Amino acid sequence: MEISKSEYEYSNPKTFALPVDSEHKATEFRLFSVAAPHMRAFHLSWVSFFACFVSTFAAPPLLPIIRDNLNLTATDIGNAGIAAVSGAVFARIAMGTACDLFGPRLASAALTLITAPAVYCTAIASSPISFLLVRFFTGFSLATFVSTQFWMSSLFSGKVVGTANGVAGGWGNLGGGATQLIMPLVFDLIHKNIGSTKFTAWRIAFFIPALFQTLSAYGIFFLGQDLPDGNYSELHKSGDKHKDDFSKVVYHAITNYRGWILALTYGYCFGVELTIDNIIAQYFYDRFNVNLHTAGIIAASFGLANIFSRPGGGMLSDLTAKKFGMRGRLWTLWLVQTLGGIFCIFLGKVGSLGLSVAIMLIFSVFVQAACGLTFGVVPFVSRRSLGIVSGMTGGGGNVGAVLTQVIFFRGSQYTTEKGLELMGVMMICCTLVIMLIHFPQWGGMFCGPSSKGVTEEDYYISEWTSAEREKGFHKASMKFSENSRSERGKKVDSAPTPADRTPNTYV
Amino acid sequence: MSDKAPLMLKCSGFPRAGGKASVKTPELCVCLLVALAFDDIGKVGAAALVLKAGQDSIVKWSLNTTVAPGTDSAYKMMVVKLCYAPVSQKDRGWRKTVDDLKKDKTCQHDIVTSQYSPSSNTYTWTVARDVPTATYFVRSYAENAELVKVAFGQTTDSNKTTNLFQVQAISGRHVSLDISAICFSAFSILSLFGFFFMEKRKAKASQQK
Repeated sequence: MEISKSEYEYSNPKTFALPVDSEHKATEFRLFSVAAPHMRAFHLSWVSFFACFVSTFAAPPLLPIIRDNLNLTATDIGNAGIAAVSGAVFARIAMGTACDLFGPRLASAALTLITAPAVYCTAIASSPISFLLVRFFTGFSLATFVSTQFWMSSLFSGKVVGTANGVAGGWGNLGGGATQLIMPLVFDLIHKNIGSTKFTAWRIAFFIPALFQTLSAYGIFFLGQDLPDGNYSELHKSGDKHKDDFSKVVYHAITNYRGWILALTYGYCFGVELTIDNIIAQYFYDRFNVNLHTAGIIAASFGLANIFSRPGGGMLSDLTAKKFGMRGRLWTLWLVQTLGGIFCIFLGKVGSLGLSVAIMLIFSVFVQAACGLTFGVVPFVSRRSLGIVSGMTGGGGNVGAVLTQVIFFRGSQYTTEKGLELMGVMMICCTLVIMLIHFPQWGGMFCGPSSKGVTEEDYYISEWTSAEREKGFHKASMKFSENSRSERGKKVDSAPTPADRTPNTYV
Repeated sequence: MSDKAPLMLKCSGFPRAGGKASVKTPELCVCLLVALAFDDIGKVGAAALVLKAGQDSIVKWSLNTTVAPGTDSAYKMMVVKLCYAPVSQKDRGWRKTVDDLKKDKTCQHDIVTSQYSPSSNTYTWTVARDVPTATYFVRSYAENAELVKVAFGQTTDSNKTTNLFQVQAISGRHVSLDISAICFSAFSILSLFGFFFMEKRKAKASQQK
């Protein structure tokens, strides 16, 4: 006798290694566990994102050799740096769509594999143009950020989603710092121990990040799972997961103004982080006359702060949400990002090496925590279009990186220190728009929840038409609404509970 | 046949001795004469001379002085370097010419370091494999006992416009590298198709469950 998967599950409830809620999302985040599907997916996604970051920023630490081999000018280098982060602008949005439609496992494995050839082919680049092209296509791999955040938002409940997103994002971003140490080390090994000449050794070195990327894609495909209950492809076929309509998903993402605001503000924390990854080694080398190795170590420490600062931001978001709900998340995000902008201004103004490194480290903590805090808010903007909203926000980050590099760090209009000051000012100004975010069910920074008594269900179910609701497509959003009630914070007197709505029964 | 580059003209300024921290180029005595003599190999017409990295015995230089006797009493060591011409410094801040010798990045490749002797010195130099493709001239510095630079000479004029030569670097690429890169790339793309195929099969199988 054939039974559907959901009937099978009802009679044989799945047991998970972690405690789960009604959507089977984990309510705890256990860092040192690799239990499937939740923690295993976490480790697979951050490692592959880390690999993509290593590949994307593998060139900057080896630039002193590459620029001589390929006869690059400062303009060529600047353009390649901009190309490296601009490809991901649209790739991140496309990735969001792919996650909504095909699931994060397939989407991220596919992207990681497709961009691996660009990294392999960096080894055979022979001119400024080919260098720009390989950096451009390699940069697409940064879109795996979106699949990471989407995957974590699908597997972890609201109580810990900020933490899960923050650690996964932070440890992936770590790659940008780690690569400043890894690539020179690999280069040294090949140049001194194997004996290749400099102009050949750097080429061989690029095979390491490329292989790492390829292997991580394999890991995700074979060991990962999209949702607690299975993969998209299986769930689609069994009817448990409705295959959504692309145009509807896009519509609900682009008509939600909160997604656009977060895209802008993310450009001024994550975008700033990417820009700094590209320019900071040269800044210390030129302004303070440290040698290249030292400049590389300083540059690495900026990215390495991600090991705790971005996760810290995510955890802070979850912590403030416990007491103050979504309003707490928004206030903390605004505060931390504004402080990041202030320290960026200081960084440009400071003239001594020791103080400059100290300010840079403080700046890195605030700006990376702001990234973590942003993705404590993103999972709540939309349930139906979570992927595209994540993609838009992520893409906005890269737009910020392109903008800041083009305006402040290209050509000789501003010295690098002046550029840093002005970038800090721009950070503070663009962060102000967070004040405009308002959730009718929870409120915003200055206003409380809507007086009309809007509930979480009202907000998330409004993304589905009545025809779709009749077919039951909105079931997942219903469960999510109930679970997101924690975003009201401890003061629960604000919004009413849905007494006379359709009861939350589901098979 | 050899091609001799013309020699330094003036001897202006006065020699600086003493172990001061930063030495500035305009303060150095331009009291040395540097000349380049090239073999026929690699010679490409009279306009631009192109040397290939890694090739042997391309360059010979000789060094002598024509200044007042006693000027060179402080000179103990000679350092000869390969220096970037202005056209190769353009839009490349890492090769910038700065007066303060500690920060000057014009001359980044060493040719030879030797004891100073007033009479003619010759050196046969092999262009190293990590010298980039660019336009160059040769400069030699004289150092005193405290290893502070006190004088210099170069193969080109003070505006660095005459008698420049080019070096053609190695590409660093090898056929084996090209093949490996292409093979691994193809493998990645094939894996991707494999993944999609496997996924479709798994989905069909679960539907039949």
